Parts: sequence; structure tokens; C-alpha cells
Amino acid sequence: MGIEIIREKCVGCTACVKGCPFNAISMKDGKAVIGPECTLCGACVKHCRSDAIEFERPRGKEVDRSSYKGVWVYCETRSGRLMHSALELVSKARELADELGEDVGAMVFGSAAPKSFGILGDHGADVVHFSSESRFDEYLTGNLAPLVSGLVLKHRPSIVLFPATHTGRDLAPRVAASLAVGLTADCTGLTVQDGLLIQSRPAFGGNIMADIISPDVRPQMATVRPNVFKAKGGVGKKPDTFEVNLNEGMKDAAVRIIEIVRTSKEGAKGIEEADVIVGGGGGMRSSENFKVLEELAETLGGAVGASRVAVDAGWRPRSDQIGQTGKTISPRLYIACGISGKIQHQVGMRGSEVVVAINKDPNAPIFKVADYGIVGDLFQVVPALNEAFRELLGGG
Amino acid sequence: MAPSVPDGCARTGPEPLMRGCGAMTGFDQETRDLILESLREYAKQNLPEEYLLELDHEGEFPREGLKKMYEHGTLGVHLLLIPEEYGGLGASTYDAYRVCEHLARIDLGIATGIFATFLGLDPIRVGATDEQKEIWVKRVAEEGLLVSYAATEAEAGSDLGALTTTAKRVYEGDRIVGYRISGSKQWISNGGIADIHLVLARVEMGVSWFIVPADTEGIKYGKPEDKHGIRLANTVAFTMDDIFVPVENLVGGAEGLGLSQAQEVFGYTRLMVAAFGLGAGSEALERVVRYAQTRVQAGGFLMDKQGYTHKLIVPHAVKLAAARAYIEHVAHRIDEGDGDLQTEGAIAKYFSTNAGNAAAEAAIQALGGYGYVREYMVEKIKRDVKITQIYEGTNEIMEMTIARNRWQDHLKTRSTLFHEMSRRMTRLHEKVSNVGADHMSLALNGLNVIFERCRQQKLTRNQHVMFKLGELSAEAEVAMVFCETAAMDEYSDAFPYDREMMKAMARIRARQAAHKILLEGIELVMGAGSGDAQIMVEETRMYQIIAAQKGMVQDMDLVATKIKEVFRSR
Amino acid sequence: MRIIVCVKQVPDTTEVRIDPKTNTLVREGVESILNPYDQFALEEALRLKAERDDVRITVLSMGPPQARKVLLKSLALGADDAVLLSDRDFAGSDTWATSVALSGAVREMGGADIIFCGLQAIDGDTAQVGPEMAQLLDIPQLTYAERVSLTHDLKVRAEQQMEDGSRVLESDTPVLVTCVPTPSFVPKVPPMPGILKAMSKPYEVWDSKRTGADPSDLGLQGSPTQVRRTYSPPPRGEVVMIPGDTREASRSLARLLIDRNIVGGAD
Repeated sequence: MGIEIIREKCVGCTACVKGCPFNAISMKDGKAVIGPECTLCGACVKHCRSDAIEFERPRGKEVDRSSYKGVWVYCETRSGRLMHSALELVSKARELADELGEDVGAMVFGSAAPKSFGILGDHGADVVHFSSESRFDEYLTGNLAPLVSGLVLKHRPSIVLFPATHTGRDLAPRVAASLAVGLTADCTGLTVQDGLLIQSRPAFGGNIMADIISPDVRPQMATVRPNVFKAKGGVGKKPDTFEVNLNEGMKDAAVRIIEIVRTSKEGAKGIEEADVIVGGGGGMRSSENFKVLEELAETLGGAVGASRVAVDAGWRPRSDQIGQTGKTISPRLYIACGISGKIQHQVGMRGSEVVVAINKDPNAPIFKVADYGIVGDLFQVVPALNEAFRELLGGG
Repeated sequence: MAPSVPDGCARTGPEPLMRGCGAMTGFDQETRDLILESLREYAKQNLPEEYLLELDHEGEFPREGLKKMYEHGTLGVHLLLIPEEYGGLGASTYDAYRVCEHLARIDLGIATGIFATFLGLDPIRVGATDEQKEIWVKRVAEEGLLVSYAATEAEAGSDLGALTTTAKRVYEGDRIVGYRISGSKQWISNGGIADIHLVLARVEMGVSWFIVPADTEGIKYGKPEDKHGIRLANTVAFTMDDIFVPVENLVGGAEGLGLSQAQEVFGYTRLMVAAFGLGAGSEALERVVRYAQTRVQAGGFLMDKQGYTHKLIVPHAVKLAAARAYIEHVAHRIDEGDGDLQTEGAIAKYFSTNAGNAAAEAAIQALGGYGYVREYMVEKIKRDVKITQIYEGTNEIMEMTIARNRWQDHLKTRSTLFHEMSRRMTRLHEKVSNVGADHMSLALNGLNVIFERCRQQKLTRNQHVMFKLGELSAEAEVAMVFCETAAMDEYSDAFPYDREMMKAMARIRARQAAHKILLEGIELVMGAGSGDAQIMVEETRMYQIIAAQKGMVQDMDLVATKIKEVFRSR
Repeated sequence: MRIIVCVKQVPDTTEVRIDPKTNTLVREGVESILNPYDQFALEEALRLKAERDDVRITVLSMGPPQARKVLLKSLALGADDAVLLSDRDFAGSDTWATSVALSGAVREMGGADIIFCGLQAIDGDTAQVGPEMAQLLDIPQLTYAERVSLTHDLKVRAEQQMEDGSRVLESDTPVLVTCVPTPSFVPKVPPMPGILKAMSKPYEVWDSKRTGADPSDLGLQGSPTQVRRTYSPPPRGEVVMIPGDTREASRSLARLLIDRNIVGGAD
């Protein structure tokens, strides 16, 4: 098990040297030599055209589980900004690590990295592995996957968490497959029992919950939806930071970014971050009708969301969609207007502290997941609510 | 891989044709399932209820929608009923019934529009020259041409003999180059939107079919009829004022073949209308069952109340299941080349459309106020399904046809026709004793007694008696086939019921049919002729049938309980 | 050009219900359908095929024998040939074991220029198999692709959906693409002629040996993750219905929410 250059076959073309993400291969007497920085990620193998690299990947199953320690988090950055999901996951990792008696490690890449050490430490990170190169500011699979795989292989954490964002769901399975380990998607609950990570997630479109475990293989990997766990600062750690030694030329050779289109304003709050959300569904009937919800949202200082029905009908943009295939929200108050409350929607809004449902059908499933309900025509109730709030909050 | 057309299909004479001409090869179950699923999905996406209700309200025919359904890349629905050799897909009779049932469940008006094109093609498919078939059937397949079957006239509905549309020869020298047709047609489905009409007209020796392009000069179209139901179908009257039709468009290339060309397919077309009745009725019934599981009145669900289920659900479920069994039986016989089965087609059409209408009517009652408003669809179904008792031969004509045929058979077999059927049931009962075959054995024996009384007393001079005998024969034969079907080891996938339920249903039907046949048969003989009531009751063993009613309520309870599982509320 | 589209037969989870008495999934009467994301991916592939005359589309599925139905549907929609990977050895596979089997089958087929997958299956909802397959096949991946096109020099471009917008990525082939439908997507219905043609297109059933995979990587024994237990989501508690007409109810609710500091607090 391991990696070896077959000297007789090596023709000295140096393709493997250029292809190693960690700069771990050098040439000696015209033949390639693998150095101690090698993380067994296996990236060099496909570059060799002479079949000169023999590589047997360490099997997750065969390893000594007890030698894996550490709860790690992949911290997502976008265009030079650290995403809030990173703080949520580091906080959760801190909680798990405390229970396991292990350390929390954070991986962060891109120009946001150096600025983030403080806040990551504040949320409980003991160690940060990073690179501050700007080429990581726009995510590309081929840039990040070998890097993350390599780090994990080298440092052997027992748990690695990724955000279940588009990026995280692109990266995590790639890493998991390269390590031949299990991965649990979209976890809404993580706990430790007898040293094992219990990964809870919705399945069957959200109709049931499942607890998943990875008993034999390490690390245990999971993706977690944003807005499920709360970020808790004030832990006050000062993390040890390690810059990853990277091969300058190493980059995703196969995929290029042609164009980037941003539809939401830079830094604007998405519904994932709002404290109050007023959501509209099939009962809204048109895009214009959402105006009444916008007015209520404004009075309450919140944002407007939508169910899948409303997005599919073209009344609201996809970035407003709440649910299984949309966003998870966890506001203090969620007011669902004209939303029937199918299970796929419930999955997205379950994290709300208080749920109010307004629907003219008393049998609508939304009432089963609401704290308060009004049966009525939303086009009457919502304006009336708005008026009542404005009055009671004093001309707000 | 087109089946070879048997000899005798290059038509020149008026002998009756076997259905096997231009025979349809059937589909296997997987293919059929995919087809039916596509129909359902297409309807769900493109023909939602609100849309159908709107068109029904306006009496609007969705021409574009229908044309879209004919596009090969979208659905190509018309191809199902066209033989492979002309670019169609070659459904068997059995496949066609399943398709027609599904179309009826979606909307009977749309189903009628699709079916009318197929009906319009019939004279060509069975009677045209090879050249004509090659041109016209192919055009319908490839271009999705809409066709109408223009036979009916104001004064010639059920009675085609009273046709007044005439076609006069046009000569050039001593060669016939065409015909001039004058006359009016009424109640023509697709009449106002078809691309071609198949017009039945009187010629020198009999009647003939002519292929008439819809834009022929001299045709004047009436406004679409404002109908009670099937309002999505286009139904018009049109007049032809000395219009010219080239001789190539005389179907079959010879005069006078029209009637046999028309009648030849009656078995098949009647069966498809039976499928319509079954589909519409079943759709209504299923809505009731789902509704009744959610509606609470007087402390319980309606579905759990005998007063409700045993009147408004069970009898209709039973009759529709019996209708299905009979339709499938006839479909298989047609596919096996067992003749054209016109009488059996009439029985299927008669029984099934009556069952469908009764079910739809009960559905309105069962939904109460909700049944009375458009939104819940059952009142539309009820209005739509009424036409199935009228078109493709009124149900009275069906009674007449059945009676005439069975009467002749009774005579030809020297009064053993029903006796044989009775013995068939006795033999069945010995093998499978819980499908009600014993009741049917008694009923058929009793029916024989009634037929005999009618023969001995010459009671069939009364038209009323003839029609009634038709009604009773249909009742008997459908119930008989239902017993046989319920006794089979396996049911077709179209039946959603398990063995216990099918058998209970067969028993219920047998009891009800036997009772009706004997009671009404005896009354008929007493009413039209003379006789000793006591002797009649003994000879027909009426008392045994009354005793056989034992267990009826229990069987109905079983059906009511189980049908809940089959059609769960959503 | 060779395209492989991976499809899955799934229960229609929009129709699945929980039995309130036993708190378990009621699957009877729930139809099995072609995973909608996979149908979208297939239709994207068919669109590319329609623009050229040299594209062969193979549909591949791992499933029980009844998964044949979704392969037939795919053939009826226009795919050229189908392979069903079906073997008891696959039972209990998690996404890793599934990816091992599928990528093995892809290799056995000789690979493809583009491998299309739906983003996720509506029963598992993991979105993992696509990327895991790409890793095992050692090819690049384009995830969350809403629209795919080919450049004149046969590179693959995809419009990738992001949380805050979208980006256009371009990749060399071979490449694996996971697709997510546009909101206006309406799945095509297999037309009648397509259905009849489908029945005579090449269709093969492969067992686990054809994947060339190590048996210890397949099925339950090959799955690093296990389901420990399933349960229904915890109920929220009884809803409080606010009585009164529109005006009264709205006022009561507003007052209630303010009093309980749910509204009007530190905003």
C-alpha cells in the first residue's frame, strides 16, 4: 500500500512534477522521486504517460480508526468573503470536538483566508489550514478537491464537515470518493454517541428522517445545510495557522470559467439571513400580488420568500425559494401566505422559531407545522395584519 | 413486418368481410402501459380540469389542442388506431378499448373527436381499393388529417335505409368521371373542422361512401350545435348542393357497397363506445369513493355508511366491472378473428353505456351539493356520458338488434341457445362454486322458458316484447361472462380488484341479473300473452332465485370495505 | 459523439404520505417514476443529439428489474440503447457503492464524451452519485447545470446555477454534468411512435461482474455509511387557530406576536 515510482519505466518527462498539488515530486538523475510532502492523493498517476507510478490508495476500511482525531470544517469563501456557514459549522464542530476531546480544524482558501483567522478562532477553531491565493476565490472543483483530499489524508481528522451549498455539494462527494469514505448529505442534526458521529437528515423528499452512521471508515464526512446550526462566537481561541505548500502551476486544467453573472446585490441579505420572512405560494396567483407581502415584510423589517409553486410559475426568482430544493431558513418569524405546506416546503422552513400560516383551506398541511393560524383570504388578512402592526408598533 | 392482407380484401363484391382485414397486431403489456401512462401524463400537463371546464362552459372545440395531440413528436395519439402498414401503430381491439377508456376518462368530447376520425376512416380501411387505402389512410397517419363520418341525416338516424343524400353519375363520354352529391347531413362529429368527410350517399343500386374534401365547393356548414354534453366535441350539420366528387373518391371503386362497409365494423365501433361508457362511469365512481372517505356526516365517513355505499357505490362498481369483463371478452374474440361480433358489440355498448350513465347519475347524488356544481366534474361527466346511449346506434336500436339476433339464434338452435348457456354455467359452478354461476344457470334456464313462451304464443308480434327480450338477453349474457371472468386464475391488469372482491361482485351481479331476468320475463309473458303465473314461477324456478339473494348484503359490505383500499383518498 | 445518461427509478415522493398511526412511510399506491432531474438531463442530451447527426445516447440505470420501465421510457423519448445494472449484489448500496457500480459500468461501455446525471434523486436527495462517479472515472465535473451546449471545437459549456446568480463554465471532454431543471421545465411525454420504437432498441441487463468492481466495494458490504434508524420528523405541537373575522383575527395575532417579543423587538 502506498506509492512508488518504477524507475525502469520513468522517462523523466516531469509531467508528474507539474501535476502534483503539493510539490512533493522532484527529479533526481533524470528520474522522478516522491518526497515526504506526498499526501497520497494520487493526482500524479494520471499525468504519467509511461505507467511508471504504482499507487495503491489506502482503503478507508483498513485503517486504524483511533488514530483519526480532529473535527474539521471546510470553510466556504466567495469572492473574497468568508461565508456565514463557516461560522455555523465551526461552532458545531467545537461542540462535537468538546464532546470527543479533540481539536477543531478549519480549512479556508482564497484571499479571505488571512482575515478570517480571528473570527474562526472566536468560534472555536484550534487550527487553520489555508492558502491565501486569489485563484481560490472562484470555486473550481479541480483546484480544491485534490487540495482538500490531500490535507485530510495527511492530517487524518475523524470528522469533516462541509456546508451543503452548491459548492459544498460539488466538493464534498468528490473528496469523499477520492478517499473512499462515506458522506451524508444535508444533515440537520449531528450528535456524538459512543464516539460515533450520528448524522440526521431528511429523506424521501422530507417525509422521513434518517440517522446515518459511518462505523468503520474514517473520516466521517457530512454536509450541513446553512441556517441549521447557530454560530456561537466568544470562544476566544487563537488558532495555529498553516499555509499549504502548493504547486504554483497546479490548477484545474480541464475546466475554465467563461462568465459570472450575479443576480443579487453584493452583500445583500438573502432570505437565509433574514429575521422575519413573509412567504407566498400558489395562493398568490401572480407576481404583482406579491406586493402585499412586500409591504408586510417592510413593516416588520423582513424579507419575502416563496414556495416552489410560486418560483416555478415565474412569480419570484429562484433565490427566494424556500424548501427541499430551495433554501433553508431559520428566522425568528415566518409567515406563510397561500402556501399549502407540502412536505418539501416544510423541510426548508422547519427551523423557523415561530410559524404563522394564512390559508383559506382549513385542511392545508401548513397548519400542521404552524404555531398560529388564520383561515381566510390572504388578500384580506395580510393587509389587515399590516395595518394592525403599523398601528401597534407606532407608525412603523 | 406488416401482416399480409388476406385474399378477399381486394373488394369487388358485397360479401361480408372478416375483421382480420388490415388486421391490427396487438401490443404487449409493457408497451400498452407506457402508452396509457403517456395519455394520462399528457392530459395532466395539457388538459387540466380548469381548462376542460372552461371549454365545456363555452362549448369550445380545442382544434389546436387536438391537432397537437396528433403531432408525431408530441403524442401521435391517432396513430394508435391505424394499421401498421399505413404508418399507424396497429393496436389490437383490446389495446384500442383500453385507449378509448382512458380517453373517455380525460374528456368524452375529446375522445369523440379522436374516435370520429377513426370512424371516418373505417369505410376506407375495410372497403377501399388498395390505392385508396394507400393514399388516404397514410395521409391521416402522416398529416394528422381530421375526418368525419357523415352518414346520419335529419330523417335517417337509426334508419340508414331512409337516406336521402344522392350521388348522381357524371359522364365524360361513356366513362364515369365523378359524382354530383346533394343532400344534408346532421349531428356529424368533427363535421365543422374535418379535413375530409366520409359521406354516405344513395347511388343507383344501394348506397356508397365517398371521400369528400371539406373545402369542396358547394358545402355549407351550420353552426356547431350547442349541446347538453360533450361540449368539447364539434358537432354540426352541413348541406351539399350538387358538389362534385371525382370518381377516384368512390370508396371501393364500385357502387352499392356502402351498407356492408358500414356494418362490417359495427362490432368493433360499438365496443369502443362501450369503452367510453365504461371510462366515463368509472371516472365518476372513483371520484365518489375518494370523496366519501373524507366526508364526515353524522359522526362517521360516508364511505362507512351502508345507506350510502349500498345504493350509490356498490351496485355501480359491480355493473362497471361486469361491463369491463364483457368488453374484454368481446375484444379478445374479435382479435382472435372470431367473426365481426356485431350482436356482442351491441350488448357491450348497451350494457356499458347504461352502467356508465347510472354511475354518473349516482355520482352527483353521492357528492350532494358538491356534485351539483361544475367544479367537482361529476355533473359534466353525467352530461357527457349521456351521448353514449344515443350515438353509434341508440340503445333502443341495440335492444332491437340484440333481440332480433338472439331470437333467430333461439329458433335456429331449436330452443337450445340459452339452455346451452345454462349448462355452461352449471359446469362452471361445479369447478368454481363461489362466483354465482349457479344463479346464472337458473337465470339462463328461466330465460329459455320465457323465450319459449314467447315463441309458442307468438308474443314477438309485440315490438315491446322484442325490445324487452333484447334487454334481458343482454343482462343475462353480461352476467354470465362476468361469472366466467371472476373464476379465472388471473385477471387482466385493467381490473384493480383482488379475487375475493371480484368473486363477490360476480355473485352480486348474478343475483341481481337473475332476479331481473326472471321477474321481468315472467311479467312480460303475463302482460303480453296468457299463462298461469304459478306454473311460470315453478318452471323458471323463481323461488330459488329469491332464495339465492341470501348473502347479498354481506357481499355488498365486502365490496364497500375493499373498494376503499383500491381508490384511496388523496 | 457518445453520451451516457444515468437515470434512476424513484417513488413519486410528492405523493408519499406518512401513516399517522404507525409513523411509517406509506409506499403502496405510490407510483414509481423516472427521477425528474434525470428526465431533464436526458432531454438536455436529446437536445444536443437533435443539433448533430453523430450522437449516440445510452441510458444507464442501477436498480431492480422493474427499473426497466424508466429505461423504456427513456428509449421512447429518444435514447438509442439502454443498460440496466441489476444484481442482488447491489442491494443496500449507499452513494459510494452506487458510484462504484455505475462508474464500472461506464468503463465497461468504453466511456463517453459526456456523462449526464440529474443533480439528485428525489428519494435520496444527496446529489452525491454524480460527483463521486466523476472522481472514480477521473474526469472533470460540471454540477448544477441548467443548460448545456457544445462549442464549435467540441468543448462542453454549462450554465451553472449558483446561490447568488450563475456562471458559465467550459470543460474539455470527457466530462460529467449534473443537471438541474429550469423552473419552467415541463417533462416531455413519450409520444406513441417513440414508444413503439423503444421496444425494439438494444436493451441489456448486466450483473455485478460487468462492472469490474471489487465485490467488497458493492452493495451493503461495500457501503461505508449505514442507516441506523428512520423516524418521522418530530411534530411541532398543536397550532393555535386565531378566531374572529379578518379584522379581529389580524389584530389579535399582531398583538400576540408583539406581546411575546416575536415582532417589534430589537429590530
